[in-house]
Amino acid sequence: MRSVFYLLDVAPYGSEKAYGVLNAAAVSIKMDVTLGLYADGAYLALSGQDSKSLAMPNLSDIIYAYPEVRILAHDPSLIERGLMSQSLVERVELADEDIFMEQILAADCFIIL
Amino acid sequence: MKTLTIILTDGPYISEYADMACKIASEALKISQVNIFLYLDAVHIPKAGQKPALFADMGQQFQDLAERGAVVRACVRCASARGYPADEAGICPDYHQGIKISSLYDLAEMLKASDKVIALSR
Repeated sequence: MRSVFYLLDVAPYGSEKAYGVLNAAAVSIKMDVTLGLYADGAYLALSGQDSKSLAMPNLSDIIYAYPEVRILAHDPSLIERGLMSQSLVERVELADEDIFMEQILAADCFIIL
Repeated sequence: MKTLTIILTDGPYISEYADMACKIASEALKISQVNIFLYLDAVHIPKAGQKPALFADMGQQFQDLAERGAVVRACVRCASARGYPADEAGICPDYHQGIKISSLYDLAEMLKASDKVIALSR
């Protein structure tokens, strides 16, 4: 495999899923790695996250720490959740339905954790 | 020889994914190298001494796969968080034989070397 697309479709806090996906993406940077934020995973795109009171790492810090991981947010998921007016983490790229699906299909490997 | 990597994130009995993975891996071993990476709650699967009343013992089944040549690895961060210590060789006294605890970087290496990847996760 030369490229991998990880999909996050659950909210970033409240379970270990998002942290797990981010870590898996971070160790995959010898390949072309993309993390797609879909459905409730789109909340990970929001800037200004503060997880101190949750006793969890700030997951947007991990996004900043690994610029090799391409972060793609599914535009319709953001719109459906009223998040388009919110400021997003600068590294996040917006992708409409077609582009998002194209990127999934273009990857050698598609992983939903 | 082709290589298949299976990624699991569920515990042994909360879903049938561990059982499905066993069946897929068992068939695949006839023609392929098989890697299995146990991530998040899936690190509970290889725990020795399980005695499920109604299900097959998943830990034993994964040991059987390892004995047939499957490479089965569990994420060290996930395992440590759930109380499964490992020595420097990745051997965990609480695990079935043949299943080691290793770095998440092994997952990336498995992916790179694979022709096919199956992730079974809820």
